[in-house]
Amino acid sequence: MRRPPVALLCLGAAALVSAVCALSLGTPYVPPARLPATLGSDGLAGLVVTELRLPRMVLALIAGACLGAAGLVLQEALRNPLAVPEMLGVSSGAALGVAAPLVLSLAVPLGLQPFLALAGAALGGLLTLVAAGFGRSPSAVLLTGAAVAAALQAALLVLMVMADQLDLQLIYRYLLGSLSARTWDDVTGLLPWLAVAVPALVLCVPVLGVLRLGDDDARALGVRVERARVAALGIAVVLIAPVVAVCGPVAWVGFLAPHLARRLRPDGGAAGWLVRSAMCGATVVLCADQPARLALAPVETPVGAWTALVGVPVGVLLLKRGRRPARVRGSVSPPAPVSPHHAPAPVLRKAER
Amino acid sequence: MTFLDTAPGPARRALRAPGVRIGGLALLVAVIACAGLFAGRGVTPEGVRAVLLGGGDDPTAEHIVLQLRLPRMLVALVAGACLGVAGLVLQSALRNPLAGPEVTGVTPGAVLGAVTATGLGLAGWESPTAVVVAACVGGFAGAGLLWLLAGRDRGDPEQTAVYGVLVSAVLAGLTAVVLLVAPGELGSVVQWLIGSTEGRVWQHWNLLWPWAAFWGAAAWLLAGPLTLLRCGDEQAAATGLATGPGRGAALVCAVALTAGAVSAVGALGFVGLLVPHLALAVFGADLRVTLPGAALLGAAVVCGADAAAQLLSPPLAAAFDADRLTLPVGALTTCVGAGLLMVVARRRADER
Repeated sequence: MRRPPVALLCLGAAALVSAVCALSLGTPYVPPARLPATLGSDGLAGLVVTELRLPRMVLALIAGACLGAAGLVLQEALRNPLAVPEMLGVSSGAALGVAAPLVLSLAVPLGLQPFLALAGAALGGLLTLVAAGFGRSPSAVLLTGAAVAAALQAALLVLMVMADQLDLQLIYRYLLGSLSARTWDDVTGLLPWLAVAVPALVLCVPVLGVLRLGDDDARALGVRVERARVAALGIAVVLIAPVVAVCGPVAWVGFLAPHLARRLRPDGGAAGWLVRSAMCGATVVLCADQPARLALAPVETPVGAWTALVGVPVGVLLLKRGRRPARVRGSVSPPAPVSPHHAPAPVLRKAER
Repeated sequence: MTFLDTAPGPARRALRAPGVRIGGLALLVAVIACAGLFAGRGVTPEGVRAVLLGGGDDPTAEHIVLQLRLPRMLVALVAGACLGVAGLVLQSALRNPLAGPEVTGVTPGAVLGAVTATGLGLAGWESPTAVVVAACVGGFAGAGLLWLLAGRDRGDPEQTAVYGVLVSAVLAGLTAVVLLVAPGELGSVVQWLIGSTEGRVWQHWNLLWPWAAFWGAAAWLLAGPLTLLRCGDEQAAATGLATGPGRGAALVCAVALTAGAVSAVGALGFVGLLVPHLALAVFGADLRVTLPGAALLGAAVVCGADAAAQLLSPPLAAAFDADRLTLPVGALTTCVGAGLLMVVARRRADER
């Protein structure tokens, strides 16, 4: 039990360093020591820090936490370590919901945008779940999700073909996930959604813990598995859609964060993982936002490009390494039952219909 | 579907029936090709007929039909054939019914290679050969990445497919990053991120057909060994086949065919994944017959989708009040293919 605290400390240190970077680096450069003094002041540096860098940092933290938590909820509910928003059509759906009015030049009030994203995300996720029969076999869900995501991507690309060059650049940046030029308004716009999502998350934790046991056991304990899955998907959608509406689908955070969280504490339960996953997600996005801001200095790169570049290879590595000890240690496993005998029994399957 | 289930009993019937089917399919392809020529805007069907019969005196119509529609149709046909054959070869060599070029990282890799080459200025539309080479390199890189990743779990088809989806996602992400670095290419590249036959001219055709013919012939020569490989490595080895080199050669063919198709028309979604299933259902598992069948079916599917896309574009443009809207073929094949893939995935889940 020496490792988890050390890892947690590393995570905290990374978050702290990134936060200081987020506030002090850039033009104008504000030395870390002067940050507290600058925060309230009226000068140019103060304005930049409080009105540009601070909201951006907060937004990165919130977005990362939401995506990380949503990723964990999806992975646990579908009992599938690869069930991430990107692969279930949730992110693509939300992105489609935001990008479509932009291209078709429909005037949509800013407050309505999260609803459009929500509708798109729900559509994508539900389509996947319905087509895959509510997750009978994890790999079936995944393949179906890939198909749905591909179809939604195709719709997006058609929109992009239609768009003119200026719109195209805008949409493209947005589609990769970008935190540039976000203000306090964007942050406060997220708060009502969080007010809905956080209590729902707390409520769903016990059910998630039961769902992990497998469909049969969960049913024996009185959980209505299908409904619980749809509810979990709903929560994930409420977490993802507003974030996507504001900063675009920051890719693969929902994949990486839960795996990191399980690494941090292999023997934890759903609740512990949820908290850690949110923390990891926040840290990941915050860390990734620094190269996004500074790497090609005057030009900003989308943060999603960085999370994708880092997230997928690392996640795959974690996945591959995590699966072997899981077999040896038995109970200390990430919920990685991509194996046939975890699929529900045929009898029960019939009864569900 | 195994070889033994579908192999017909008497040899005579086996020879006759596929011949008839291939003939019928060839006829269908011809009909669809004609439909592809007649669909679209700019020229009325009568005008097209007049040009084709040699009686037309309208130079604009003649130019549109002979210089634009004809090469476009031919490119669509050959690209579809390439993708169909590549998919069937991949699925047979890997013994995995879900191993289309899209989900084994070959197509996304090819797109990445082509985009990188154009983005870096190493290749352009004026030097299409370089695009093919870059697409090939990318395709091999994508396939290699999957091979590295899934190496240990290669036995389980679904697991490999899942890794394939991941690899494809990584490669697509990299493509996005490359596009960010070279944003000037965005407009033209988006067209073939999705797959489009728009604006294909004789130059594309001249480049595509020798490539397709060569690798297609190579794939067909490998049909016998591939049929054996479908039965399983041990059986194939028992007949004296060197399974490793055989599989390697087949994969090379598949990647080359995919790369050629991608550099010509872009990443047409799901053609390479689903056409092989269709071909196996129609022709059975003797690849000596089924490979040409898959080529014909792929050609029919892509050309038909192209014709349908051209027919659908005007009403869609009117509906969305956007003149510039032309439906790319890739959108159509992806949407239809996604639906079919769901059915396939669902059926496999039911069979469990």
